[in-house]
Amino acid sequence: MSAVVIIGASHAGVQAAASLRQRGWQERIVLLSAEEDYPYHRPPLSKAYLAGEKAEEQLLLRAPEFYRDQGIDLRLNEPARSIDPHARQVTVSAGRLDYNKLVLATGSRARTLPLPGADAHGIHTLRSISDARVLRSALRDAENIVIIGGGFIGLEFASTAIKQGKSVVVLEAQERLLARALPETLSAFIRSYHAGNGVAFRFGALPERFVTRGDKVSGVLLSDGTALPADLVLVGVGGVAETALAEPLGLKTVAGGIEVDAHGRTSAPDIYALGDVAAVHNAYASAPIRLESVQNAVEQAKAAAEHILGSAAPPSAVPWFWTDQYDLKMQMAGLPRPGTTELLRGDPASGAFSILQLAGSRLVAAYSVNRAADHMASRKLIASGDFIDTDRASDIETPLLKTVAVAAAS
Amino acid sequence: MSEAITIKFETSGGEQIAVRARPGISVMEAAVMNNVQGIEAECGGACICATCHVYCDDLDEDTLGEMSSEEDDMLDMSPAERRPSSRLSCQLRVTEKLEDAVFVIPESQS
Repeated sequence: MSAVVIIGASHAGVQAAASLRQRGWQERIVLLSAEEDYPYHRPPLSKAYLAGEKAEEQLLLRAPEFYRDQGIDLRLNEPARSIDPHARQVTVSAGRLDYNKLVLATGSRARTLPLPGADAHGIHTLRSISDARVLRSALRDAENIVIIGGGFIGLEFASTAIKQGKSVVVLEAQERLLARALPETLSAFIRSYHAGNGVAFRFGALPERFVTRGDKVSGVLLSDGTALPADLVLVGVGGVAETALAEPLGLKTVAGGIEVDAHGRTSAPDIYALGDVAAVHNAYASAPIRLESVQNAVEQAKAAAEHILGSAAPPSAVPWFWTDQYDLKMQMAGLPRPGTTELLRGDPASGAFSILQLAGSRLVAAYSVNRAADHMASRKLIASGDFIDTDRASDIETPLLKTVAVAAAS
Repeated sequence: MSEAITIKFETSGGEQIAVRARPGISVMEAAVMNNVQGIEAECGGACICATCHVYCDDLDEDTLGEMSSEEDDMLDMSPAERRPSSRLSCQLRVTEKLEDAVFVIPESQS
């Protein structure tokens, strides 16, 4: 009997299993999870779950019965130990599993800071539901919070913490927030929105060590000598692809991930990699990239499932991403590219606007704040490559889809 | 905590599935927790993927709750055909008013 073994049961792994069944795979599917909880949505961990607005059962990707009904052999708390690509076997605690196709969906882990005092209690990262449980309860009792890293996770956490009346300081090594991901206008807007809610920022700040009292963190000392009091620290300095299992296989890597093609294939036969752990030459990027997003995980899983079943890969979708902070729903489509011109649609002071990045008169990326219609239209326009009328596009009253000047030849 | 109520999902094939749902969660979450197929909800209820589209043929806005402009915008771009009774189930809260309500699932969400 043929078998697909999927290592990792988050957005990518679960979608791969579901898509294989949905598209007609009749043989065995084994889905291995290193975690003990049924697979869950990760984005709410730093948003609604942390804020206490969602219970754990509301985070499930699928009902527990789904796996049984679909004949997906989900094994919780069963991490893969090693892979033998010649024998086509994966070793788990219970023995060896044969595979015909292997899918690596091991995700990423939170990067940590190897500073003195880093093992003290009260220093957190946020990646899994077990991290979120600990952080949610620590947040209740905390007074002074220092967040290291002004990225999406750090800022989402800042918005939740400040709403609960905590003192919050965000340390950012760069001179502005999300310097690589967002245009300057939007960084500045987010910064002032947070500041208006009481969050303090320190830019160009380099933490040197954690100050501890007993086994608990009591502060963060910066390289300029500043000491900040802290009884809770969140380290949000990005993710590292979880490649440990794959390293002995000698798979080609690029951009910090396992190199894959549009079908999710790695450099080894019958081994696929998906989601956060994979790096692919995305049609919307000029180089191979590793994208940490739900949409990327889901799209790659669908493409790999099609390939395993012998069908063509669906066309590469426009990357999109979202973040929720306070009452701001920020949605991004496309990927930033150097040399684009920027166009502002709407007034940031109104709290609803979009920033469009254009190459000539073609839309490359769009960043929307409380403008869902612009976001959805942008996804279509970035994909189509239509030429847009920039005068009309800067008028927020004109629907973005109605600003097409010349439709691209298809 | 309020008592669970019964809501129903109808597949494009006409089959009705009754599920118990507790007030406060979303209609999308009720579908997922009860293993109802055809409501993808890729984004987990963030109102950004439009893959939890349902048709609410016999239900008015008073029963369902008002539609936000955001939901309205997302429905315009939803992969499944938009009809007058279209809603995104992640934006619908389960309340006592929804006892025995029927939500029709589109044939495809992609």
